[in-house]
Amino acid sequence: MDNLHPLESKVLLALAPQPGSPSTLDHLADSTGLEPSQLSMAVEWLLAKSLIAVHAETVAYIASLTPIGEVFFEKYAPIERVLSAAREAGQTGKRLTIQDIQAKEALEPSDVSKAVGTLKKEGAILIVQGGCIESTGRNSPTAEAMRALLQELRSGQRELQTFAEPLRAVLQQHAVKRGNAREPFRVDERVTRSFLLTPSGQEVADQLSRDGVAEEVSQLTPELLKEGAWRTKQFRKYTISLRAPRIAAGKRHPYREFLDLVKLKLVSMGFQEMRGTLVETEFWNMDALFMPQFHPARDIHDVYFVKNPTHARDIAEPYLTNVTQVHENGARAGSTGWGYQFDAERARRLVLRSQGTAVSARRLATSPSVPGKYFSIARCFRYDQVDATHATDFFQVEGIVLGSDINFRTLLGLLNLFAREVAQAKEVKFLPAYFPFTEPSVEMHVRHPKLGWMELGGAGLFRPEVTTPLGVSVPVIAWGLGLDRMAMVALGIHDIRDLFSADLEFIRTMRGSF
Amino acid sequence: MPTISLQRDDLEALIAGPDETASRISIDQLEQWLMLVKGELKGHNPETGELRIELQDSNRPDLWCCEGIARQIRTKQQGAASTYPFFKKQKRVAGKLVVAPGLEQVRPYVAACTAIGYRVTASGLAQLIQTQEKLADIFGRKRRSVSIGLYRLAPIAFPVSYDLVKPDDVRFMPLGMETVMTLREILMVHPKGVEYGGIVSGHDRLPILRDAKGQVLSFPPIINSREIGEVQVGDDHLFVEVTGTDLHMVALTLNIFAANLADRGAVIAPVEIQSPVKTPFGKRWQTPIDFGAPRSIPLKAIEAALGEALGSKEVTTALKSYGYTVKSAGLKVAVQLPPYRNDLLHTVDVVEDVAISQGYARFAPVMPSQFTVGGLSRLEQMADRVRHLMVGMEFQEIISNIMGSHQDFCTRMRLDGSEWAKVVEVDNVMSLSYSCLRQWITPSLLQVETNSSRAFYPHRMFEVGEVAVPDARADVGSRTITVLGAVIAHAGAHFSEIHSCLDLLLYYLDRSFTLEPVPHPSFLEGRAGRIMLNGQAIGLLGELHPEVLEQWQIGVPAVALELEIDRLLDEA
Repeated sequence: MDNLHPLESKVLLALAPQPGSPSTLDHLADSTGLEPSQLSMAVEWLLAKSLIAVHAETVAYIASLTPIGEVFFEKYAPIERVLSAAREAGQTGKRLTIQDIQAKEALEPSDVSKAVGTLKKEGAILIVQGGCIESTGRNSPTAEAMRALLQELRSGQRELQTFAEPLRAVLQQHAVKRGNAREPFRVDERVTRSFLLTPSGQEVADQLSRDGVAEEVSQLTPELLKEGAWRTKQFRKYTISLRAPRIAAGKRHPYREFLDLVKLKLVSMGFQEMRGTLVETEFWNMDALFMPQFHPARDIHDVYFVKNPTHARDIAEPYLTNVTQVHENGARAGSTGWGYQFDAERARRLVLRSQGTAVSARRLATSPSVPGKYFSIARCFRYDQVDATHATDFFQVEGIVLGSDINFRTLLGLLNLFAREVAQAKEVKFLPAYFPFTEPSVEMHVRHPKLGWMELGGAGLFRPEVTTPLGVSVPVIAWGLGLDRMAMVALGIHDIRDLFSADLEFIRTMRGSF
Repeated sequence: MPTISLQRDDLEALIAGPDETASRISIDQLEQWLMLVKGELKGHNPETGELRIELQDSNRPDLWCCEGIARQIRTKQQGAASTYPFFKKQKRVAGKLVVAPGLEQVRPYVAACTAIGYRVTASGLAQLIQTQEKLADIFGRKRRSVSIGLYRLAPIAFPVSYDLVKPDDVRFMPLGMETVMTLREILMVHPKGVEYGGIVSGHDRLPILRDAKGQVLSFPPIINSREIGEVQVGDDHLFVEVTGTDLHMVALTLNIFAANLADRGAVIAPVEIQSPVKTPFGKRWQTPIDFGAPRSIPLKAIEAALGEALGSKEVTTALKSYGYTVKSAGLKVAVQLPPYRNDLLHTVDVVEDVAISQGYARFAPVMPSQFTVGGLSRLEQMADRVRHLMVGMEFQEIISNIMGSHQDFCTRMRLDGSEWAKVVEVDNVMSLSYSCLRQWITPSLLQVETNSSRAFYPHRMFEVGEVAVPDARADVGSRTITVLGAVIAHAGAHFSEIHSCLDLLLYYLDRSFTLEPVPHPSFLEGRAGRIMLNGQAIGLLGELHPEVLEQWQIGVPAVALELEIDRLLDEA
């Protein structure tokens, strides 16, 4: 009762006034004013709830024209055409064979022979010597019945029973039957059901007429509110267990959400953001970081070179001179240097930034704060085949810490802080590592709740060969965090390319747990 | 850096040393010890006993082999490095090697020694060859600065000569060939000649190593002779030679080989090198050679860098047990590297070795305590505001790669031949799909649209990201700009839809803009605008041209917005 749909109520109320007298769908359509589709839906629902029952099923036979019948109406039925051809031949004295008629009237042989058979039986024609057809001048009742039936059914279907006997016989004879589709008429069975209220349906209907059904509405409207009419209304209850329709939200990319969180953590630990350029000189990308120009990682197979222009105009002084000297002989940095001839031309060569440390190097050269903490989330490029673990470009989270209190132990302390704040890791391991620009160098491993021991980042104290030429005289920590693996676990993906996915459905459904 | 393959029992035997019985080393123990060599165990096959170890330190080529790893571990256990008498000048040499004039222009330096008494085993030979390859390939930059030859000693008659010859004047049978070939033929036909020929190209005379009888040892740095230069299992008289362009790298490489062979039980005898020109080693010297020098370091420098008052005793113990020669003198320590190392550039290199020798766990972490203020750049703050507003307008954020193709960034956008088609291109392209940097973001978003016709509509997406715009005035030839790109795509997508977004966005950012019609090939004519702020163009918006949509195989109309976030800062 609670769950009655407005359509159901209408049908119940239409049946209620004449208890015991059944109504057909046609009657119900009239009395409820519902569309056929709405009505049949409501009836099915009510039957399923046993509020109404089928009283009787009556079968009616409905005659109608087939497409063949349409053609016959346009061009006359074969029987008429055969008869009129025979009469015409009789008047002109021509001799006419069955084949002649077939050819002349462009009729199917089966239609012609059937028509000839009927006409002959009815005495309207004679077959004479040589297979010729002659008209007897008598009428053919079948031909006339056909004409009448085609005429009649052209204007609409009709119940078979309403045709008088001779016509009905002709109709049935020429109706589509299995195995013979070339007929002008068809006769369809139509089941008409009539319905009655069941006792429980009667109860519900009575209650409905007592309480009134017009009160139930599905949607609260401004009008109902304005007029206060909602007070007398009932609000249809919904099936709230159904699944909600999908919508799309405006939202951040989950990977960016992750990076935003990292950004927030770093700022909250006292780090200032630094930014750099996508295109860098070899000088800032490598030379300033004391990577010798013959270093294997500077090979053509590791870094992307820019096509045009190939070189920057110049490198700012005094950095060029300072870095040149530190490479050649370690001047003023307390180093032996690499002992090779520095190529200033090579230093101006433009590359796609291959490491975020380039941003740090530039920061060191532009009067950084001491003490100072800096970070960047920089897009970097490596000359790698793109696969599940290598993207064409990727984010590096990197930074520096300057201060008179910086040493190996404070470096480890800072990494501990990162492990706790960024990776929520309780267990940390420090391993010796190698980076061209730091000494000592450390690799930090943390125990990730899902991945077990994993490398979280690398760090070290910048070599004096890096800091001295850039005018920095305090120790500097250089650190980098490898967060992509952590991000992939948080986002539930296994292919680094999915961090940069171009599939909207995937991005809409991807969510992070962090 | 290199990953090498070695046999567990070979490593165990080398760690024990020639006079001791090897004992089983657990994988856990091994991983602990690998910290001494910055090594990482990459793989372990219990059935074959194969270990795969990656070595990180590109300045420690002595560690890129089983012998070197074992030596560093053994040194730590012994508390000091083993002594190798052959690094001191010897009264007797195995023979002489005479360098001809003119080589200083081609490949000036050579070092050599003999090794007798180690009978080469199959796994030992595999290790020798691996070390030879890793050193020549990575340390020697694909044989350019260093290459190595190993020979059977017996057929060689001293003195050996390192000479220059014309490419057609000498012929010999190289390794891997069945016939005698001239040097020119080797460069043209032999796989190694084709691979490494570039190193000696441009010279009309080429280096050759021959013995006193005129037999060819090798054509450095290309290929050895097949007769003398093919060491086989069972050989126990060996000759080792290194040639190259850097005197110290050449000497160091030979020192590593000599130490390795000595660790396997060979007796090393030096070879005297005679040079026609004066070198930092003089005109005559013996190799192997200890060319290192002691260096005096204030104890305080080490302690300050480590943040720990270790004292001279602990520093001395740590460095000795890491292979150094150490003399402690008051507030200073005089340190010298073993002859198979040459990576002491600065005090900090010693500092790290102290820390590694003692183990990083020896040093208790201390939190940096100096106060600093954190914060985001103004650009990032503005970018974040824009992102939050776009999310509020129901756009989905996208992150795309910055590298892509000219096809996507220009051709499919109908920009070829227009002023909009300038992009930063890469010279050494690996794949045409990744050959330039995007100059705007719309193509990145259309890439998403192309892949997403089955995602329910409407599609509203944006990206705030970096692009690179060529600019002759910029010192690196291009400017990196942070840009907002946004695309709306659905059956009824319309100019006014994206226009409203722009209008609202800039309303909240308090920037009053105007639109100017712009003929832009990516947009329908008369339905594209340039966004103007204080007389400066700061972006574009419009209805994408149907041909652009066709190029991207997009079946619904789409409108796009492109806005330079850097320019929004100018006014503030």
